[in-house]
Amino acid sequence: MALAAEITASGILMGSIFALVALGLTLIFGVMNVVNFAHGEFLMIGMYSAFLISTFLSIEPLVSLPFVAVVGFLLGIITYYLLIRYLLRGPMIAQLFGTFGLMLFLRYLVMFILGPNPRVLHQGVLIGKSVSLSWFTFDISKLAAAGFSILLFVLVSWMIERTKLGRALRATSIDAEAAGYMGIDTEKMNALAWGIGGATAGIAGGLLANFYYITPTVGMLFIMIAFATVALGGFGSIRGAFIAGLIVGLIMMVAGYYLSQIKLAFVYLAYFLVVVLRPRGLFGW
Amino acid sequence: MFSKTRSLLVVGFLVCAVTLIGVAPLAQAGSPKEIKIGVLFPLSGGLASTGALIRQGAELAADIVNDKWPNLDIPMAKWEGIPSLGGAKIKLIVMDHRSDPARGADLAKRLIEDEKVVGIMGCYNSSVTKSVSTVCERYGVPMINSNSTSPLLTRRGYNWFWRTTPDNITFTVDLFKFLEGLVEGKVRGVGKIPREELDDLAIAGEETEYGTTGAELLKEMAPEYGCRVVKYILYAHESPDLTSESQAMQAANPDCVLFIPYVSDVILYMRTFRSLRFSPHIIWGQDAGTVQPDFARVLGKDANGVITRTVFIPEVAIKVKPIAAQINNVYKERTGEDLSGTSARAFTGIQAWAYVLDKAGSTEPKAIQKACNEIYISPDDIIMLWGGINFGSTTPDEKGQNVLGMGMIGQWQWKDGKNVLEAVYPFDYATADMIYPFPEWE
Repeated sequence: MALAAEITASGILMGSIFALVALGLTLIFGVMNVVNFAHGEFLMIGMYSAFLISTFLSIEPLVSLPFVAVVGFLLGIITYYLLIRYLLRGPMIAQLFGTFGLMLFLRYLVMFILGPNPRVLHQGVLIGKSVSLSWFTFDISKLAAAGFSILLFVLVSWMIERTKLGRALRATSIDAEAAGYMGIDTEKMNALAWGIGGATAGIAGGLLANFYYITPTVGMLFIMIAFATVALGGFGSIRGAFIAGLIVGLIMMVAGYYLSQIKLAFVYLAYFLVVVLRPRGLFGW
Repeated sequence: MFSKTRSLLVVGFLVCAVTLIGVAPLAQAGSPKEIKIGVLFPLSGGLASTGALIRQGAELAADIVNDKWPNLDIPMAKWEGIPSLGGAKIKLIVMDHRSDPARGADLAKRLIEDEKVVGIMGCYNSSVTKSVSTVCERYGVPMINSNSTSPLLTRRGYNWFWRTTPDNITFTVDLFKFLEGLVEGKVRGVGKIPREELDDLAIAGEETEYGTTGAELLKEMAPEYGCRVVKYILYAHESPDLTSESQAMQAANPDCVLFIPYVSDVILYMRTFRSLRFSPHIIWGQDAGTVQPDFARVLGKDANGVITRTVFIPEVAIKVKPIAAQINNVYKERTGEDLSGTSARAFTGIQAWAYVLDKAGSTEPKAIQKACNEIYISPDDIIMLWGGINFGSTTPDEKGQNVLGMGMIGQWQWKDGKNVLEAVYPFDYATADMIYPFPEWE
């Protein structure tokens, strides 16, 4: 019983983090129908930003989160205006290769500037701290990351569903042309979707940096999980991304405990089954 | 005005082009002959930092062979090229296999067919070494391996593959002898440890050629030395999370956790162990991940007490071998770091290539093959503590293995704000009292 509780708790914690990584990806796809292959690199830049701000400016990693969010937001906006806007004029394949190229560019640019060596954060109120219960030891930094993940999902859902801005974003995602006729600046909405997507990836990176190692290739480890999460939950569905993140986390924890070497296979199997039985994902439309 | 400027530019370009075309053949004719060696390492991806270490070690060895180094007391520092080949310089053609066996095989073909290399060195990842050596075998091109330790590599009956580093069998035997030494009270600074404190093992190997063969060996040999395997895990390379694997090990309550990892995964394991407050008596790593400077630098104080097998510990080599100290100084001037087991082995691999070429006196594959099979490099000429380099076999099914290699075990110890790799095995070479057991997490 204690073992089941321990695995479930770990799965929920990691699942919330996977969901947070997937949030920006699903948001960008939902508004623009563009698959951002460089999303893992946005995450990586968020991790490095947290590391550099905390290390060189001696700022507590948690306090650095707003700065990291700004870095991610600007990265998303710049990506939209300098790349995506032009790619949208081309065929779908151009969008795919464009973001794939951006992924390689950002990865190797960071490797060129900062080197390939792994880094970790050593100082911070959350780092290395744990809470022991009778049946489980919680890593506080993961607990905090899961808490932030829930908070961000609530905030983004509220913004999308309850605010004027969210309605404009949704209108743009449903029919950009008609939204334009209604006076919505769809160009700005697209840029905003990239900005928010980049900011959430940056925050996810800033939180991950508290317990994960940082390398220029670290985004690669999370992007495949993020794609499976988004597809499982339904492309474009925010609620779906969260639930799918929890499912992925639980699958990974259970499979990792008993059959570690093929744990990712179980995640992709779940994704495959959903795609076969319900192609639009659990909450897609 | 514009057309005049453009005309001047065109004329300038033509003059430069004609000059270069005329001079190039002259320069080529006057330059010494080159011997191309294809070098395949992981220079991007998760092992990019490891690849950089190997490259630095290999390039230093090539530079020492090619140039004059009067202050180094090693024969090849006086060669200025390969002596028996008229002073021909070694040229390394370095390529990045990205830890991908299929890409490694493609690059090997390109090196052989397009670059016309006389031989190949590489590839660090045993899985890539396996695919590349198969290509070399098919083409009849010699390959010397310096950094891959899967025992299977020299047990395939290949005629064109030789390995300078000891393999995982040597290192695994070393580990169990070390554990026995703890029981018998032979380890410096540690009294006799009851066997019950050391006999339950948890093994975690990365699911690659290197990790699985290493983990299997540990599992097979454990009963011979009176140990039990209480948990056996093969995990996916560069997993996004290793919490459940760590929890599974913790639940098995082992005395020793034995890793066969690459660096990023073992960093994540150590961070997860810390968050779970999991402190077995011994944490040991099979070289690749745990021996690297990155491991100690990134983990800082959290690496204190971790034991790693290695083949080179600067402090020991410097004390025992003056040449190791000299080479280490040159390496440190270039990179700012001491040689590690990884870079020192790459250095020795290129050194072996140089000695083989000198012995062969030819770049013909058959001559190199003969030289490899007959070579003996004196222990005085190498920076390792090995008995030298001589390719042969330790078992009937083995071929092309350096039979004079030797393993060591080091322990990371946190001293004055940095990690130092201290030798704890062989017992006679110990440089510090061992930290036992692995410290509780603060």
